[in-house]
Amino acid sequence: MKQDFYLYNASNRINPWPYLQVLVGIFIMTAFLVLVKQWISPTSLALLYLLPIGLGASYYGLGPGLFAAILAFLAFNFFFVEPLYSLFVHRTQDLIGLVVFLGTAFAIGQGFGMARQNLEKAQAREREAILLSEFSSELADLHDGKGIVQALERKVLETFQVQRVEVILEAKHTPDTGASETGREGRTKDAANPGNVGAHSPRPARPDLLAPLQTPRGMIGEIRIWRFNSPFNASEQRLLQTFASQACLAFERTRLTLAENRARVLEESDRLKTSLLSSVSHEFRTPLATIKASVTALHSETDSLDPEASGELLAAIEEETDHLNLLVGNLLDMSRIESGVLQPKRSWNVLSEIVAGVLHRMQSFTKSHTIQVDISEDLPLVSVDYLQLEQVFANLISNSIKFSPVDTVILISAGRQSDQSILVQVKNQGPGVSEEYLERIFDKFFRVTAAERVSGIGLGLSICKGIIQAHGGRIWAENQPDGFAYFFTLPLTWEGDIQREELE
Amino acid sequence: MNAAIQPHILVIDDEPQILRALRTVLTAKRFRVSTASRGEEGLSLAAAQPPDLIILDLSLPDMDGIEVCRQLRTWSQVPIIVLSVRDREHDKVEALDHGADDYLTKPFGIEELLARIRVALRHSIQTQTADGKKTVIRTGSLEIDLMQHLVTRAGEEVKLTATEFKLLAYLAANAGRVLTHQMILSNVWDPVDVDRVEYLRVYIRLLRRKLEDDPEKPHFLVNEPGIGYRFLIE
Repeated sequence: MKQDFYLYNASNRINPWPYLQVLVGIFIMTAFLVLVKQWISPTSLALLYLLPIGLGASYYGLGPGLFAAILAFLAFNFFFVEPLYSLFVHRTQDLIGLVVFLGTAFAIGQGFGMARQNLEKAQAREREAILLSEFSSELADLHDGKGIVQALERKVLETFQVQRVEVILEAKHTPDTGASETGREGRTKDAANPGNVGAHSPRPARPDLLAPLQTPRGMIGEIRIWRFNSPFNASEQRLLQTFASQACLAFERTRLTLAENRARVLEESDRLKTSLLSSVSHEFRTPLATIKASVTALHSETDSLDPEASGELLAAIEEETDHLNLLVGNLLDMSRIESGVLQPKRSWNVLSEIVAGVLHRMQSFTKSHTIQVDISEDLPLVSVDYLQLEQVFANLISNSIKFSPVDTVILISAGRQSDQSILVQVKNQGPGVSEEYLERIFDKFFRVTAAERVSGIGLGLSICKGIIQAHGGRIWAENQPDGFAYFFTLPLTWEGDIQREELE
Repeated sequence: MNAAIQPHILVIDDEPQILRALRTVLTAKRFRVSTASRGEEGLSLAAAQPPDLIILDLSLPDMDGIEVCRQLRTWSQVPIIVLSVRDREHDKVEALDHGADDYLTKPFGIEELLARIRVALRHSIQTQTADGKKTVIRTGSLEIDLMQHLVTRAGEEVKLTATEFKLLAYLAANAGRVLTHQMILSNVWDPVDVDRVEYLRVYIRLLRRKLEDDPEKPHFLVNEPGIGYRFLIE
């Protein structure tokens, strides 16, 4: 395949129709003049012949105009100049007249013809300009390869009145359409049944016109056109070439946009990783600072510390190791959720027992707040992963404590939502979250406040979401008139459960 | 030791556990301790009961620790030791430039914190005498008379050039404090020279040769890697 831009034309015949018309015109004029010649002077006859020449040239252009001039000259000579009915001329006077007539006829034919040609060219250019501007504004709104191909096909069909268009794209250059088995993506559009891509109309072996799609990266495909009834003229070829290069620009733009998006996604995930690393180190060092300070105090001069102080420090160490453990648990769960291996190990559990277990484990942590539990006695057993549910409650409670003022109430309640599910609520009296962030707080690493201000790595809620979704439930948050609440649902039945019942 | 002369330390940190540990340890070390978990609270406590020293965390829920430092410095010269998990040089320099005296990254050993507290308090007591305009600074065998521009080592006068003396005087007047390269350069040389750390390196080496027993293991002119220098009083 040639690399440079090329076009070829199957045939370049002259359209005979205007010439025929001019011939008829001259014939009619001659017949008319033969009838009326005894009343009209030869000079007037000659002038009347200029009429069809001028009309022919102005309607059909230069070629038919000159053709008319020659015909008129011959007819005038034959029918009206002595000797009649021959092309010979005897009188010098007549010869001069004929030469002058021929000259005048040529001049008129040429003049009108040129004007006609220029007008046609100007109109063609205007039409081209309109088509191109329409096409380019159409392309500007398109952002995928398929759309561009469709627009190109539609435009070629409309503009050139062709029977068949094919846009062939090399598969490797169409990232968003995917490679076909043959390695080439072919699309065909037939005028007879537009919109029917790849229709089963018989495909002629050789297209009448080809235009390659050439970009700076090389050829990415080509446009093939079949038009049986009329050949392509130079301006049509030029127009197709321009369509092709506009489409190429659009393809390039699409490719660059895709590349840019991909780069942005990579950048974003890189930023998230950096933010995770910095918050993980921050989050781990905070409890480690307490542990190290306490241990070094106990280690260096135990004798100078009274038993009460030592006890305080040991308690601080214990709590901070629990805190670290919760963090490590969250990180592990996150990596399990990420790699898709977070499978709940379901067993029948009493929800209130899970909550009591969590509260017992977190009791030193929750001292700053009042925890109220309201879980109805007749709540059915739930089939959940005990440890994972514990993690959900621990994260929701720790979040509630972190974001609500000291000495306020945190309420944990649960009840039947319907026959199929139960609804759990963890509510605090802290400030609300702006509506736009209500969903995003469950996103990984998302924090409403600046990262440095509030502790936490932005994983807790996203882990809750992962666990609850793995259990077939839903989790969300709501601003309440007197605080902020997390809700989640747990289904009372799940697929595995039903299958087991059926087996039994 | 009675309560009146127990040094008063204000700890500003939003982590309840570290507050608890520090309160326990510092109380056991016979300091009087008050605590604040927010920046605003810390500032108003510092105004109501001026402490002898402030231990400040940089990550506070309501305002940045750097801002607390800056506001404190508008009306108080109380020594500030910053405790933070932020361990980049940039963060340290920023805190020190905004008036912190010292910087310790978390996690830290309690002995190191106690040592820094002692240094800061000693410096503070020294500058408080004679209305904070102490003119003679003594440490070990070294005596620096800021008024007379006289430096003696074991009773013998040490000849210093004008720049050497200016540098020594600036460091000694801020004894105990970590001074960043930028602070020293703009005070001793000129604010336009803040990037000419090489000046500082050369002059510190000259001073150490003249003042230290072993210039390779300095006792007075201590390097804070990547940050600056500190003049230590024994």
